[in-house]
Amino acid sequence: MSEFVTYLITGIALGSSFALIGSGFVVVHRVTRVVNFAQGSLAVLGAMLSASLLAGRLPHVVGEAVTVLVCGAVGVLVGLIAIGKRGTPPLISLIVTLGISMLFSAAIIWLWGQDPVSPPGLDGFATVFGAEVERQRLLVLVVTLVAFAALSLFFSRSYVGKALTASASNPYAARLVGIDVRRMGLVAFGLSGILGGLAGVLIAPSNALSFYSDLPMALGGFAAAVFGGLVSPLRTLVGGLGLGVAGQLTAGYLNGSYQTEVALLLMMVIMIARSRSFAHEEAK
Amino acid sequence: MSRLMSHVMSRPQPRTALVVLVGVAACVAPLVLPDLTFFMRMVMAAIVVTGLSMLMGYSGQASLGQGAFVAAGALTVAVGTTRFELPPLVALLAAPLVAAGFAALVGVPLLRLHGHYLAFGTLALLLMVQAAMSTFDVLGGAFGISGIPPLGVGDRVVTGQLPYVYVALGCLGLVLLLSHRTVHSRFGRGIQALAGSQTAAESAGVPVNRSKVTIFALSAGYAGLAGGLSAFFTPYVSPDSFPALESFTYVIMAVVGGLGTIWGGVVGAVTVSVVLQVLNTVSSQPGLPPTAAPIMQYATYGTLLVLALLFMPRGVVPTVDAGVGRLRERSRVGVPG
Repeated sequence: MSEFVTYLITGIALGSSFALIGSGFVVVHRVTRVVNFAQGSLAVLGAMLSASLLAGRLPHVVGEAVTVLVCGAVGVLVGLIAIGKRGTPPLISLIVTLGISMLFSAAIIWLWGQDPVSPPGLDGFATVFGAEVERQRLLVLVVTLVAFAALSLFFSRSYVGKALTASASNPYAARLVGIDVRRMGLVAFGLSGILGGLAGVLIAPSNALSFYSDLPMALGGFAAAVFGGLVSPLRTLVGGLGLGVAGQLTAGYLNGSYQTEVALLLMMVIMIARSRSFAHEEAK
Repeated sequence: MSRLMSHVMSRPQPRTALVVLVGVAACVAPLVLPDLTFFMRMVMAAIVVTGLSMLMGYSGQASLGQGAFVAAGALTVAVGTTRFELPPLVALLAAPLVAAGFAALVGVPLLRLHGHYLAFGTLALLLMVQAAMSTFDVLGGAFGISGIPPLGVGDRVVTGQLPYVYVALGCLGLVLLLSHRTVHSRFGRGIQALAGSQTAAESAGVPVNRSKVTIFALSAGYAGLAGGLSAFFTPYVSPDSFPALESFTYVIMAVVGGLGTIWGGVVGAVTVSVVLQVLNTVSSQPGLPPTAAPIMQYATYGTLLVLALLFMPRGVVPTVDAGVGRLRERSRVGVPG
């Protein structure tokens, strides 16, 4: 039982980071129809930056907050390159962001080297249902839930959030009522940077990240976003948690090396099973 | 029409001359170049990218995991020659067929995806192939497959690097010819229509799913051929031989050269390979830190991709083509007649 709880909570923590990255994909895709491949790199950037800031420069909480804000600013920059030129088709923008993720890799190796980095997090263990669990993993879950609650409040209550939703559901009508759709796209990219940075800051203390982690993070996040059809943040949260738990249970009870395959296979099956409804959405 | 024909007949076509020139240069280059490994890698990349350029340009589908089919071809040769003791030549011929068959098999469910989903789906396929290779001992397991015999017929075997380079060049020539024939066939016009609008093509009688799977399998066959060649050239095959970055490189080459052009693959492969080689030489100069090489590599990839897509979105070949066309137009306007 206690073994099961450990796997469950480890999976939930990892799944939370997938959910955060995935919701970054969703936020950008809803407004701009672009899938931002650099989403995983933003998480890695968050991990690296927080490690540097927390190494004696800034206290906890402040260091993390600064990191997340910087990642948001970098997200806007990514958006400027990806959608700054008018009339770039979404699939070309995807390949542009692939290029940007490579620039990220170059910058990260240059500034932080090639070794995995793990910033300090919450120390110690807590006992949950008789299982010893790292407190950092519980923190990940709590912060993720708070972030998703804030995200849904932002979309439903704030003016900018409503403008984002309007641009997502009908760009033409949104322009008619005076919303700058392109600027909303950049806001979405900024938001995705914040979400990606948050994911990196949270997961890195328990799973060290290197420049090489951008691809697994991006794939995990994309798989989570696929659950939500790339439009629903809430279903992305469910998808991410499910994916993380499924992966950890496979790793724990079957074989550690099958973890990636299970996640990838799940993603493929879901994508193909839902391909009809995706085609429908794209045709709209 | 007849005037046009006589026009073509009377004037030597600059394009034909260029093709002959490139062919001759490609055959002479291996004799004078000091580094044949680099040249061989470039030719193999050109074979893969020619297929990818066709897939992306004509059918509008992106593949971020073309390495999966390169791996399929390499595995065919590696497993075929070491385990089943196939003659090397048979194994090389089987490589593109197995890769194409594999693509046709996975293509049926996979190609129901479009755009972003397909891009990620193919990337996931590559990672799954890598995982399968390191998990199953038949496919090499953790240690990879070594001991692949040299290419040859009967007792006459190939020695040295030079013959492989010419075999690869011959394969590239065949691939270019086949692509040219495919694009200018009824099937080719069908897939071009597919890239414009799937619904319109379907209503005009193009068998959408079958065409997509066919072009996917064809591009995979090219990749498999390159994989088979690479397994003979470097007789060791392991999951690490096909990193995701290499598949991204193919995409970069295709984009730089120009999607949906026959020569785009070759131009892209040569341009990107040469740039990387030059930077590699620069970054391995003494005095620079060891991280200089990966930094330069990633930075070049990223910069090339972003700049090419934003400022030359159609790639080198179509842009130069249009430029030459404009120049000729201008000279024709200038000369009264």
